[in-house]
Amino acid sequence: MKRISVIAVLLLIFLVQCALCSGCAPSEKKEAEKKEEKPAAEKVEEVRVGILLPFTGAVAIIGEHNWKGHELAAKEINEAGGIKSLGGAKLKLIKADSCSDPKVGMTECEKLIVENKVVTIMGAYQSAVTYPTTAVAEKYKIPYIVPVAVKDDITDRGFKYTFRLAAKASWWARDQLKFMMWLAEQSGVQPETIAFVYENTDWGKSTRDGWLKWMKDLGLDQKLKIVLDEPYPADAPDMTPVILKLKEAKPDIVFLVSYTGDAIKLSNTMAEMKFDCMALIGNGAGHMDPVFVESCGKNADYTFSVAEFAPDSDDPLVLKVRAAFEKEYGYPMPEPSVNGYACTYILADALERCGSTDPEKIRNALAETHITEGPATVVPFDIIEFGPDGQSIHSSLVGVQVQNGQFKTVWPPGVAPAGNKPIFPIPKWEER
Amino acid sequence: MSVAMKESIFNGLLMGGVYGFMALGLTLIFGIVKVINFAHGSFIMVGMFTGYWFWVLTHIDPYLSLLIIVPLLFLLGYQVQNVLIKPVLKSEAEVREPIGILVLTAGLWLFLDNLALLLFGPNFRTAETPYTGQMFKAGDVLISAPKLYAFLISLATTGILYILLKKTLLGKAIRATGQNRQVASLMGVDIYKIYNISFGLGVALTGVTGALLVPFYPVYPNVGFVFDIRAFMIVVLGGLGSIPGALLGGLIVGLIESVGAQFMATSWTAGLIFVIFLLVLYLRPEGMFGFKEEW
Repeated sequence: MKRISVIAVLLLIFLVQCALCSGCAPSEKKEAEKKEEKPAAEKVEEVRVGILLPFTGAVAIIGEHNWKGHELAAKEINEAGGIKSLGGAKLKLIKADSCSDPKVGMTECEKLIVENKVVTIMGAYQSAVTYPTTAVAEKYKIPYIVPVAVKDDITDRGFKYTFRLAAKASWWARDQLKFMMWLAEQSGVQPETIAFVYENTDWGKSTRDGWLKWMKDLGLDQKLKIVLDEPYPADAPDMTPVILKLKEAKPDIVFLVSYTGDAIKLSNTMAEMKFDCMALIGNGAGHMDPVFVESCGKNADYTFSVAEFAPDSDDPLVLKVRAAFEKEYGYPMPEPSVNGYACTYILADALERCGSTDPEKIRNALAETHITEGPATVVPFDIIEFGPDGQSIHSSLVGVQVQNGQFKTVWPPGVAPAGNKPIFPIPKWEER
Repeated sequence: MSVAMKESIFNGLLMGGVYGFMALGLTLIFGIVKVINFAHGSFIMVGMFTGYWFWVLTHIDPYLSLLIIVPLLFLLGYQVQNVLIKPVLKSEAEVREPIGILVLTAGLWLFLDNLALLLFGPNFRTAETPYTGQMFKAGDVLISAPKLYAFLISLATTGILYILLKKTLLGKAIRATGQNRQVASLMGVDIYKIYNISFGLGVALTGVTGALLVPFYPVYPNVGFVFDIRAFMIVVLGGLGSIPGALLGGLIVGLIESVGAQFMATSWTAGLIFVIFLLVLYLRPEGMFGFKEEW
């Protein structure tokens, strides 16, 4: 019995440690912002905007990327004379750390509104944090712009104050299918079987549901046979079992939803076990992480993925923004920065039009957004407009393939730089 | 039997051997020093980073560099025990529930992981060694070369450890301390020195596993956590403090993970391992095989 109790105590401590480890350090103190906000006059000094992101915890690095997008845009706007209809008021971004935790996120969101008196919030990268924090903003009637967070429900609840630029999770699934159909069509090779391999949390599972739904809607459910439907734990030490199942199922197409570490392990194991197919199509994230290509080297070649941003776009605006980012921060602009950058300009546009710092007026201006030019259109679609549910209607994705260790945008034809051609079906391992 | 089946059995055995070996350091430290080392995964990570940087900076053969990595990690473990753990151990000698040590090793875990995060950043790194991605072909079955090497070196190292414990005077002193520290100390064994050596051995073993993973596994600061959970389960499966228990427990976990996945979704195998773990804990808390602590 004593042994049992010892083990029980140990397990308990172990669990507590796990919880502690995945928790976080106390959020950083805001700069002492105790000045009394003057009643909204026509001429205001600054527009306070809350930026709620995970600055600590597992995805801290992505939070930082996101933040830099916002920061760069705000800097540009302020240097160009601020918000002119508010007498040149400057955008003042106020950082808040969600610690990757929904509960902390909600507290921080409330603090931004009540203590820091922000007039708009942007964030929060993770769907799990964005979902409850948009509800907090809704309660206080403060507009909340979501640059990156894909869970469908965020804009499916009929909220009036939530606006999202990112494509929904189910749209990502849709564009994976459309991308595949386009690949098949332009090459004349028709795939007959498909395998789903996805990480087993909310994100992977909702994407899989999206695939099933859109396969029906696009009329593919009769043409494509699903030969493997495999959720896997992203932290599994060994991916060989998954690859062996793929080898048994022999699909033509593999759809993937992976973070970085598992994407690396999957691709390396495929190379080792010589798993061949017509195409691997990822769902962004891990498969669009430069670390994935760096880490896998040649094994990453020919992998397809859908993405929010064409990394090799030759659009002059995109090139300009990327150059500005690299000059400011010393490294190439990563995907999450782009939407942060665009959203800050969308907010500036709304402020410019309503000429007020009243959240209600900002909300109404946001709802009427119709942007067809300017820095906000750095995103790979032409018109920025929000539907009645707050979802950006025209958001769509691009299709990318890794060729010789470089991300090459190959789809859709209008966005892909001239000269980029997809390689489909991909060469067998023996022939590489 | 299908090719995939054969491949999954081989893969399960190889991974299982590595898992078992990974648990050895934990079981050794528990058996002798009676300390549950929560920083175990972090020491795996330290071993991996040491192996990684050795390869990147010197390009010495990753398996040859073990000859340098092992003494380095032994020294690290020796000093951790000597400087950090010993004082707490002494002050808690009379305490019935020595919680301080647990908190200390857990703190060490957080410290080491975050130190690595600070020094190397959160990115995944892969060492392009000559063995990376190399495969053996036995008939139509593909076997990963670095996994096979890791398995063989694990076995050999376990053999050396076994001889060290059974055939040498030092081994005798270590086992005596494990069996009864008071009596051992009465017989003239400097038990705190033995603790230092045992902890050093444990960390060196753990580090070796880390270094063996480098040719086929990406390195990142939190990598230890994945293996840590496995190691703790294996140690309990096989019986706390038992060397053959750890190896067998490792093989079982490896096989379930690899072969089980051929019959169910991969997510379920992870769950299945936990179910077996709980059953063993409930029905046979002394370990699946009932090995006595044979120190």
